[in-house]
Amino acid sequence: MAGQTNLIKIAKNDSVVRFSKTEFQALASLLFRRYPGHEWATFARLGWRDTKEGLVVSLASLDPPNSEDMNEFVGHVQIMEPYTLRIALSAEQHPLAVGVIHSHPEGCLPAPSSIDDDMDGYYGAYFNDFAPGRPFVSLILSRVSGAFILSGRIYWQGLWHGVEKFVVETTSVATWLGTGPKFKPLDIRERTARLNSAFGIEAASRLRRATVAVIGAGGTGSAVIEILARAGVGKLILVDPDHIEESNLERVHGSQPSHAEQAVPKVEVARNHILAIDPSCQVEAIMGRLPQNEVVDAVIRADVAVGCTDQQHSRLALSDIAVRYLVPTIDCAVALEGADGAVTAQVIQLVRFLSVDPCALCRGMIVPNTISQELMSEDERNFRQEEAKQAQRRGENPNQYWHREAQLNTVGFLTTMAGSMAAGYAIGWLTGRFEPPFSRLQMNLLSKDLDVTDSAEIPRAECACRRIRGWSDQSTADAFLTVPLHWPAAQRLDG
Amino acid sequence: MSWERIEQELAQLREGGQLADLFTEGRAVVVYRQVPTGGLAIGLPPTEDVVVPVPPGYPANMIDLAGLPIGSPFLGRARGSQNNQGAILVAGRQWQLASYHPHNGGGGPPWDQMRHGFHTYLDQLIAWLDKLT
Repeated sequence: MAGQTNLIKIAKNDSVVRFSKTEFQALASLLFRRYPGHEWATFARLGWRDTKEGLVVSLASLDPPNSEDMNEFVGHVQIMEPYTLRIALSAEQHPLAVGVIHSHPEGCLPAPSSIDDDMDGYYGAYFNDFAPGRPFVSLILSRVSGAFILSGRIYWQGLWHGVEKFVVETTSVATWLGTGPKFKPLDIRERTARLNSAFGIEAASRLRRATVAVIGAGGTGSAVIEILARAGVGKLILVDPDHIEESNLERVHGSQPSHAEQAVPKVEVARNHILAIDPSCQVEAIMGRLPQNEVVDAVIRADVAVGCTDQQHSRLALSDIAVRYLVPTIDCAVALEGADGAVTAQVIQLVRFLSVDPCALCRGMIVPNTISQELMSEDERNFRQEEAKQAQRRGENPNQYWHREAQLNTVGFLTTMAGSMAAGYAIGWLTGRFEPPFSRLQMNLLSKDLDVTDSAEIPRAECACRRIRGWSDQSTADAFLTVPLHWPAAQRLDG
Repeated sequence: MSWERIEQELAQLREGGQLADLFTEGRAVVVYRQVPTGGLAIGLPPTEDVVVPVPPGYPANMIDLAGLPIGSPFLGRARGSQNNQGAILVAGRQWQLASYHPHNGGGGPPWDQMRHGFHTYLDQLIAWLDKLT
């Protein structure tokens, strides 16, 4: 069990800790300042969410020591009382959890020592007095053979919980669980031989350990799912509220006419398709939408999320997840444009949402009228459409009641192409072999040179996304959207 | 549904002296108390209570509509109040919603969830009850 010693008993290894890439780099730089021989430490503020499967904690910011806050003359960590008191008093002024993160010397595993036990036992009780009802987080970072490895334990509601997984945006790290890094035995499979040879065995192993959440299991999502399942991703979380209809058959991988006849949920079709491709893949299928609680609980335990819906509220919610819970996300969209029977544009858009990237609002991706209409109940939609007709009859502008938008139909080759590209970049992140070389990519397949553009928008100064990075559930007042009460409850498919 | 953002916005209003309360039973609404009107000039009360529904998915979904108590002298005089958008019962009182859409082409700025909220909607309500027919 993670960090289990004689003094501290771990109740369960069920917690996940997430870092943004930039904060992790700052953390490593700070903690390794006396490397390779000596340790160092810092306090930190962390957001958290208490999910059914355990805590998911995200690093919001560091509270690094000042010059007199630590003893420079000893090799191990010795935190001076004024530093601790300052952090405790500041915790009374913010809603986040307090954490202490320290390094072990290079080459040493992050196994807690008896001194670490003393420190954690003391701090667990101490900070509970200043920040009651919040977790206390203790993490150890080390570098072994050039690789980052972390261990952690969290004092929460009177029990110590071990960290079962660390996730750093676009950076590979190992989790120490008491007996060594949490690596399954190397899983060399003939079916992924080409991928293994292209990216290396280690990359294939990372894919087997990875979890990807795919939001939307329609044309684009089903392509993402298929590619990831064939690449050997260990676990896929599928989210979609809809059932297969006959018009989906042209696009949705794995769908058959019988699925449309029986109105089978899209996530069920996707799950069965995945298991036909790779029976060892773990699949979690949820009929629901972001940001419903059950969906958020699942998605924030993933390494990467891929957004594949044509709904603006889903795009906004994914952007929110990327900012507040530090889940690296790629959102993809397609559009066909045409007039008089001629197709004039076939557009693919891929958007990278890392926690440092501008959110969907800052990027101007959200149209207020459109998202408002998406979020209305069926009754309200019908009422407004009727009002718009009556306004038109009166000679008034009907748009204040209902803004009619041209339906953008898409076709299978386009959704498959967009989904394949998004899946490819997700694989790049998961394996650490390559990254999306863009912030927001748009390309038109019918333009000369494909008319590729990359828009690197900048965050708006007034946007909450700049100040709630990693704040998790402690920033619900700044959430980009809430769950409409008329939505049906999310439903997890059994089996 | 998290009401935290709305409560913060209403707290801002209260700091400025404007009373407004959130009701979450049934259809969630905010009731603004004693909103200033332009009624004095035509012999109507200087203030009136106004109800505003909380849109599903708020703040991504824009705030829209406004309602007056059944029997209010402003019904029929405030813009869009001739076009009944439905009746609601809040805290034992009946209200009638008017066709008022300030952020949706109805005279106010386009909805921007970073800037707008129930605290800024008060401006739209004051403007609404100021121009009477």
